[in-house]
Amino acid sequence: MKCEACGRKPATYRYCEMVDGELVTLHLCEDCAREKGVAALAAPLVNILMGLLGGGSVGGREDEETGTVCPRCGLSFAEFRRKGRLGCGACYDSFRDDLKVLLRRIHGSTSHVGRVPRALSDGVEHERELRRLRAELRSAVQREEYERAAELRDLIREKERAGPPEGKHDVDVRRDDE
Amino acid sequence: MWTFDAMMSEPSGWLDGSGPRSEVVLSTRVRLARNLANHAFPARASDDELVEVMEEILAAVSKNNYLTNALIIKMEDADPATKGVLVERHLVSTDFLRGVAGRAAVVGEREVVSAMVNEEDHLRLQCVRSGLTPQDAWRLAERIDCEMDRNLHYAFSSDWGFLTSCPTNVGTGMRVSVLAHLVGLAASERIEQILRSISKLGLSVRGFYGEGSAALGGFFQVSNQTTLGQSEEDIAYTVERVAGQLVELELEAREALAEKDGLRLADRVHRAYGILRNARLISSSEVMELVSSLRLGVAMGLVDGVTMATANRLLVLTQPGHLAYAHGGEPSAEERDSARADMIRRELTAGG
Repeated sequence: MKCEACGRKPATYRYCEMVDGELVTLHLCEDCAREKGVAALAAPLVNILMGLLGGGSVGGREDEETGTVCPRCGLSFAEFRRKGRLGCGACYDSFRDDLKVLLRRIHGSTSHVGRVPRALSDGVEHERELRRLRAELRSAVQREEYERAAELRDLIREKERAGPPEGKHDVDVRRDDE
Repeated sequence: MWTFDAMMSEPSGWLDGSGPRSEVVLSTRVRLARNLANHAFPARASDDELVEVMEEILAAVSKNNYLTNALIIKMEDADPATKGVLVERHLVSTDFLRGVAGRAAVVGEREVVSAMVNEEDHLRLQCVRSGLTPQDAWRLAERIDCEMDRNLHYAFSSDWGFLTSCPTNVGTGMRVSVLAHLVGLAASERIEQILRSISKLGLSVRGFYGEGSAALGGFFQVSNQTTLGQSEEDIAYTVERVAGQLVELELEAREALAEKDGLRLADRVHRAYGILRNARLISSSEVMELVSSLRLGVAMGLVDGVTMATANRLLVLTQPGHLAYAHGGEPSAEERDSARADMIRRELTAGG
């Protein structure tokens, strides 16, 4: 394949970029790649993708005296640091970024893989599947397997659009042995 | 009929010495921490909100097939002796006694299943079995939790699992604790090194009565430290495997004691038995040490006429709260030491 920029030299770089939410692939020769600064872009590209895939976080209200405050229960992050106890379930969203660091330090992990409440199980299965696919996409990009990455991206889009399956919550809890 | 008197007339089910590896392991407990989505966590909730939470949870308890006959003990109604008994039977924590508003203990038949309402989290569900049974205890806890889940809306995030007041419990909210009698290892020089290596595996080790309590008599609790990023089955499996290895090491240490100086071992066991059978005044910490030696002797077949269940129950029945309950009020220190000695003599002649 010839370089898609100059059309003369053989393409040795495959360059991917997210443009308006679309993954664009360019095959470039070494010179054109250097000219476009692609070689230098390779690392940040992964970061950009990660940022795009990571999803938004819900930030808490800022309070001048105490820093972030949970809008639901009024606990400040400073108070949490002092007492080591959160105020309500919403605190986990309010202090999301700080907690993420903390949870990694405590548990060596930031994602739940255990049991899920019945009413949420379909939705959570869906979320887990998406999380798995996004991780696969990230590693495909890191390995520069861009065709696989494009496939995965389409699959993720499709699943995001379709949403979690509905219904199926009436499964009876069996009371076998015991 | 399961009543408080019925509960007091027999020791906790987990003390019966019937489970797997019960020569070393007394019990396995699985605790699940849960909160309701639409309420502040207990420490930040008003008294009115705590009562509301309690009512919601008790309504769910009454519909739970595993808790149909459960005793409900509201802390505002509980006298000091009752509270002492609940702590000593590991049904509630000492922290739980610091408040009364909206706090209730739920105790199922034979104390296999129990719960604290509005301790650090809205609901702390507990299953305790005799012996080393993390997988079984988890499966039972799961079934009960599934039923609770039908009637309660839990605080849950798909990223971080069950949301808890303290971030150290978030995720599965599960703590698996194995109470093990490591008297042989405690006598060897290896104990320090072994406990250190356990903490490197992500497990923690504490004394009989939880955080900060000394490991009197060689009784240790081994439990998982992390709750996020591993499934409940994996956590149960890890604790089971590590505790299983501890059991093997403990049995080796006991064998070594018998081989090295069998006479001294037999002397230690029978002296303990002799004091327990004959003393007229005895302190709580002395009992822990003596019962530990007696239990070792029973496990190694050195003592006739005493069962593992009897040795186990002495550990709990001789605690101050149980003695106060039997005494019908707070005894003086000497009355307590005397009542304790009487109780032990009765147990050792009756139960055998």
